[in-house]
Amino acid sequence: MSLMNVMRQIGSGFGSTLIIFFFTLLFSMPLGILVALGRMSKIKPLSVLIQGIISILRGTPLMLQLIVVFYGPYYLFGMKLSTGWRLYATLIGFSINYAAYFAEIFRAGIQSIPVGQTEAATVLGYTKVQTFVKIIFPQMVKRTIPPVTNEVITLVKDTSLAFVLAYQEMFTYAKQVSAAMSSLMPLFVAGLFYYLFNLVVTIAMDRIEKALSYYN
Amino acid sequence: MMKKLAALFLAGVMAASLAACGGSSAASTATSQAEKAEEAAQEAVEQTAEQTEAAVETATAEGREFVVGFDAEYPPYGYLDMATNDYTGFDLELAQELCNRRGWTLVKKPINWDNKDAEIDSGSIDCIWNGMTYTGREELYTWSRPYVNNSIVMCVMADSDIQSLADLAGKIVITQTDSSAQTALEGEELADLTASFAKLELNPSYNTCFQDMMTGAVDAIAVDIGVAQYQMKNNPDKFRILGEEVSKEQYAIAFKLGNEELRDQVQETYDEMLADGTVMEIAQHYAEDNLPEMLITEK
Amino acid sequence: MSLFEIKNVSKSFGDLKVLNDITVSVDKGEVVAIIGPSGSGKSTLLRCATMLETMDSGDLTYKGEYAAKNDENGKSVYAPPSELRKIKGYFGLVFQQFNLFPHYSVLKNLCDAPVSVQKRDRKEVEKEARVLISKMGLEGKENYYPQQLSGGQQQRVAIARALCMNPDILFFDEPTSALDPELTGEILKVIRQLAQEHMTMVIVTHEMAFARDVADRVIFMDGGYIVEEGRPEDVITNPKEERTQRFLARFSENG
Repeated sequence: MSLMNVMRQIGSGFGSTLIIFFFTLLFSMPLGILVALGRMSKIKPLSVLIQGIISILRGTPLMLQLIVVFYGPYYLFGMKLSTGWRLYATLIGFSINYAAYFAEIFRAGIQSIPVGQTEAATVLGYTKVQTFVKIIFPQMVKRTIPPVTNEVITLVKDTSLAFVLAYQEMFTYAKQVSAAMSSLMPLFVAGLFYYLFNLVVTIAMDRIEKALSYYN
Repeated sequence: MMKKLAALFLAGVMAASLAACGGSSAASTATSQAEKAEEAAQEAVEQTAEQTEAAVETATAEGREFVVGFDAEYPPYGYLDMATNDYTGFDLELAQELCNRRGWTLVKKPINWDNKDAEIDSGSIDCIWNGMTYTGREELYTWSRPYVNNSIVMCVMADSDIQSLADLAGKIVITQTDSSAQTALEGEELADLTASFAKLELNPSYNTCFQDMMTGAVDAIAVDIGVAQYQMKNNPDKFRILGEEVSKEQYAIAFKLGNEELRDQVQETYDEMLADGTVMEIAQHYAEDNLPEMLITEK
Repeated sequence: MSLFEIKNVSKSFGDLKVLNDITVSVDKGEVVAIIGPSGSGKSTLLRCATMLETMDSGDLTYKGEYAAKNDENGKSVYAPPSELRKIKGYFGLVFQQFNLFPHYSVLKNLCDAPVSVQKRDRKEVEKEARVLISKMGLEGKENYYPQQLSGGQQQRVAIARALCMNPDILFFDEPTSALDPELTGEILKVIRQLAQEHMTMVIVTHEMAFARDVADRVIFMDGGYIVEEGRPEDVITNPKEERTQRFLARFSENG
């Protein structure tokens, strides 16, 4: 069995890994901002509720959360699970878990911006939404890039946790190829894929950071 | 868009890694290799896409969908065929033939073995047909009639000085988590044997168990004979099976407890296939893995 | 009619009463300096006037329009948000710490609010902004970012940003306190120039000589009260109240 063939086999799971990666980022980042704003809300019950949810999402294994999302509808409501649910449950599980982490990063980012920025915007007549969108958010993005990069890199590797729902991502394929060949080599090939993927992610985040370094 | 991105990135990754592997080879070779890699990447991604589309189509096709859950790391019963990039194996070929006869559409659903009960209870799969041990689990599922006589054997390195079960005293034995071998070793009948081991270790995958033994981390593997023979086929002269069997058991198809209706339909067609020799014919595809001898031919 | 009036305002932070029944009104074209020791309530008064703090009780009006008014229980009730947004267009505030938007260029710091808040034409606003920039002696700095400028330059941008909204009155909250001594001069020069152009201004400051030169009226605050108020030559040069005398004496000793 040639190396080329192994790479092809494992590569065929790469698309599924990319789907988890992109959709998780797509959903979890905006959700994370909403959660961060809810967490900082002056409405006490909302803020306490969100704090509790964040605490659970960060305090329990992602693998368990995936299982709860996937099998929950059956055990709670007796619903029959469809084939498509496997992917949706994976995306929902990843998105809410990463939203919890992003929310705390964004909250720290927002709170690190001097209160004078909000005051200046208020006096100039910006609405609350304008103040957030035009003044606070862009500064938050810049300040949170290093910790966000950490999370994104972790996400690349965490996609392999989707195996617990038997979602056919790259590492699941690698293990199957490994079993079919009775060899560990395919796992190292998968490792190479993850590494190169993360190299691309790191370079991309670096670019973004540089692009935002036009001000302090 | 996603597919294109994936293809593009994959091509890049492969080109880069191949170029790196190329080492001393000339730059032009590396380039042509990269081109080939790109084509291959395109194909691979398209294949995945086709599989997904096929799965979607079957959902809307006429006739019943028959979703078979299996562990895709369990050759020769269910595994990834590297040549066709599709799942195959003795059990999956049987399931395919059965579906053809009944006009059903087969959906091969790889599952995480640890979650098999949740998968079958939630209706996400119709049955587990995957070298599933019937012996000792009679009450947990609705079963077909057993169709394979399996033995749990001890596999050791070819040059090991372990010759009999008695030699395992003070040795480290490993098996797959939640496997029938584990159930057998932890049962009362084999309590003395298990107690003689230095340790009984568990790993989620038999494949990793064999890797462990090659590194010398463990001394023996308690394993289904079919799985052991598949490993020996892939690693000639590396392993040896002890003549003395650990235990005997039978495989059957597991359905959700109470789903007699589906079980009866499957059993009816299986019996036809058995009677006209089709089952034996399929077993012959796995002669190297000893399946024809293990098959239960009488009703 | 006064351009700006804050009447009978009281404000407490917890048990600490920082403003006691203060009334200040400012006419068009007037320059008022507020002096006093730290903790005297002068900054809080400015923050109430610019609605960064809410008053516990008291009235607040700009051009005769109520931003807040006492109800029958003597509590300040603020006008609806749409009304307040309109009133915010009447005044500008220059902060001690400049509070420029670091991710915006100098030009955008000036133009963004007029365009996105006041909905004015971008080209027109930019034209006006460039005039203000050159008036502040910052020609060629349009595309700089705040951190590329000195503190004095940043404060001049902040003044230009406030002016670009075409306010009727401009508040300054200790505009030179965050600057190195050698940079305060350039800010005072700008304010002096605005005074000559009859810009209505209320300036909280520690620069006594400057207050005396530029202000039409000086208010001395201490302990949340207005202690003395009048022409600068009276309040600063010949204070009547003992507390004012003590404050000014300490000031001249120190510096």
